Parts: sequence; C-alpha cells; structure tokens
Amino acid sequence: MKRIACHERNDWRATAAATGFDFHTIDGERYWDERAFYAFTLDEIERRIEAPTSEIDAMCIELVGRAIDDEKYLRRLRLPEIFWPLIRDSWHRDEGSLYGRLDLSFDGRGPAKLLEYNADTPTSIFEAAVFQWTWLEQGIERHILRADADQFNSLHERLIEAWKKLANGSHLHLTGTMENAEDAGTLAYLEDTARQAGLETTLLDIEAIGWRDGGGFVDLDNREIELAFKLYPWEWMFHDAFAEKLATAPTRWIEPPWKAVLSNKGMLALLWEMFPDHPNLLPAFFEGDPNTERLGNSFVRKPLYSREGANIALIREGVTVAEQQGPYGAEGFIRQALAPLPNFSGQYPVLGSWLIDHTPCGLSIREDENPITGNTSRFLPHAIL
Amino acid sequence: MKRSRRVVLTMMGSGAIGAISMGFVERRDCGSGFLREVSRGLDGRPVVTCHGVAYGGFGRWPHQFHGHGHGHGHAHGGG
Repeated sequence: MKRIACHERNDWRATAAATGFDFHTIDGERYWDERAFYAFTLDEIERRIEAPTSEIDAMCIELVGRAIDDEKYLRRLRLPEIFWPLIRDSWHRDEGSLYGRLDLSFDGRGPAKLLEYNADTPTSIFEAAVFQWTWLEQGIERHILRADADQFNSLHERLIEAWKKLANGSHLHLTGTMENAEDAGTLAYLEDTARQAGLETTLLDIEAIGWRDGGGFVDLDNREIELAFKLYPWEWMFHDAFAEKLATAPTRWIEPPWKAVLSNKGMLALLWEMFPDHPNLLPAFFEGDPNTERLGNSFVRKPLYSREGANIALIREGVTVAEQQGPYGAEGFIRQALAPLPNFSGQYPVLGSWLIDHTPCGLSIREDENPITGNTSRFLPHAIL
Repeated sequence: MKRSRRVVLTMMGSGAIGAISMGFVERRDCGSGFLREVSRGLDGRPVVTCHGVAYGGFGRWPHQFHGHGHGHGHAHGGG
C-alpha cells in the first residue's frame, strides 16, 4: 500500500458535472481529491482486504443470528424494546440487505482491523462505484496511471444484480433527506442502478412519506409504499412520530430492520466477545464492563450511536488527544482498543470496504489530517498496480 | 477488477438525456392532510375522492436532534 502523488485531470470538474457528481466540493473544500491516489498490489486486495471483509460479514451474520432472539443482547445494544418484534420479524423473514461498508484500518503490513461497520446508511457509493472508475479509465488514457492499472470495483454491476434479487417485481421507493446534496446524490445513483435492473422507481423526501387512514405508508400520489430504500438511519426512524406505525405497515425496508443490530457500535464489543483475538477485530467492550481495564489507558471511546465521528474521543496514555463534539452518547459508550491509523505523508487514510448483497466488491478511501475521520475528510481514488 | 466493465448512467448527469425520470413526486392533495384520488365513475366522468393522509411523520428527528440531517460517515465515525 502506497500513497502516490499524481497530476489531477484538468477537466475533472467538468467530468463530475457530466456524471451528476455535484458534491465533489463541500463548503468550498475539496471532497474529491485526485492529487494523489492509493496503490495496492492484487495480493493486498485479495488476501488482506477482500477475504477479511467476507469473513467479517459472516461473523456479523452469526452475531445477528445469536442476538436477535436473545433479549440480553438487545438490551446491551440499547435497542428500544418496542421495536424488537420488527427487528426479529425482518430477520426471520430473511429480508435482504443491499449494501454495507466496513471501515478498516490498514497499513499494508499488518492485518486490516475493523474500526466499525456502516451497516445501515453508508454513503460515498456513487464516487466509489462510478467517479473513481472514471478516474481510472481516464488516468490510463492520459498516462497518469500505468496501462495495466486496475481497481477493486464491481460495485455498479453488483448493485444492479442485487436490485433484481431484492425487488422481485415490486415498485421501489427511494427516500432520504433530500436537502442534503450528498444524500440526494446517493439516492439518485441508487435509483439509476435500480432502473437499470428493470425496476419502476419513485424518489421522495423522507418527510413526504404519508400514513393513510386505515393503515399503510403512501407517497404523494397515494401509491402504497411496498418496498422502500431509506437513506435514513433506523435509530432516527425509531424516534420519529411514525415509529409506532412501523410494526403494522406492510412496507418492506432496505436496509431491513435487523441491520439496526449491526449499525450500533455495541456490535464491536459483541463481535469481540464472540470471536476473541480474531486478527481483523480490535478488542472492544461496553463501558462499565470490568474488561475495559484490559485496554489500559489508551483506547477510543465511541457512543453506541454516532455519525461522522461525533462524540468519539481518542485517549492515549490517559490523555484525550482528539475528540469530536456532538450530540450523541445518551445510550452509552463502548471502548475500543486504539488502532492508530497509518500516516501517509501526514494523512490518515481509512479504507471503506464495500459489500453488495454480502459480496465484497469495492473499495473507497477517505483521508484526513485528523486521526478521527469526519465529514470534512477527502475521498481519494485507488488503483491496483 | 474487470477491464471490460462498463459503468453506464442512465438518469444522472448527461446520461439523463433521453431517460425518463419520475423525479420527485409532487403533492396533489385536496386540502391539508387529504389526498386526492381520481377514478372513473360508471358514466365515465372523473370521480375525485379525498383520503385522509398524515405527512411529516418521518424526517423530523435529525432536526430536533442536531439541526440537520447529514451524516453517514466513514471511519471512526459512521453508522
């Protein structure tokens, strides 16, 4: 694994506009950054990223299977009891998952370590699947990259195949917070792939979902929402006014409710409990567990629910060396062994290893000057050399 | 992974030219909290029915919580 500085395409902004990638610059700062890329060997990709991703996903499935009918686990995750039947039923009905992204610490030498699992509402799929691939193709054409350069990326075609399997002829509604450009872009891209899979689709803001007298979620055309992809976290849905309707509504959701078990950072502690000393896991414990003493005075403290690094603190030798403010933490925290991100030219990269329908099939990289990657971190492309 | 792969967009960006996008569905209600449904009566004339529908039951939590709806991050952070 190397970080290689390179020339950026002089027309990449025009290319971005042509593909509908309109959040490449956020608040005047680069989000997409191709002034450098990360290079991997094929062996690194296949043995050190792809294989562990598959193995971690299998462990996650085993974890859900164990936790779903055991209230001790559900209580430890602080999942609201009123939603346990919804979560359980979705698992027992075998409701399918479209995608997820594992965030890994990897330096090219030791094993990749799971930092966390974005199991419910991962974004950056468009830039990973499409714009990164365009960069590779144009980079080869323009001799920025070697002619034999490749990329760990079959996201686009696997999304199309996954939609065919998941929809089974149903009309698909896609919903989220449309005022957010990144979320709107993600939804537009996923709708594009769903259309290519032959689905009929409707895109609507999450606030435009209606509840019809007599029962059932509907769109603004009074069409029943039979199958919905939501880019809106389950823990937020559980707090919204329509939460109480979820149990009786016939809508099937993607990601399914059982993903609430995995999008909770308590799953990191449960995974370590089930698979202690696994090379791709970091020791992690619920705060208050006497085992946290094993971590010593260096660890990462994470709320059970957190986004964009909020309320996460890095404690080294008892001193808080980095901390992101935020509104999370009411449900409790976990402590995870400190796995410092590798430093490449003063940048800390985190690997996002994508799963589509449980198949590892793509990589995205975000880097930051800060060892806690937040929503100002930049997306850098990668290549296999 | 596959040098022969083609990534084609049919609705986004310039790929949207010629593609039929339903886009956002527009509200066609018949009064606050009611939805309009048009069907044909026995005489072939349109019949408009308004159904009670409540809106806004999802999407409020992030506004109450931290003022915006963003965030599915990457890293020591996401969800």
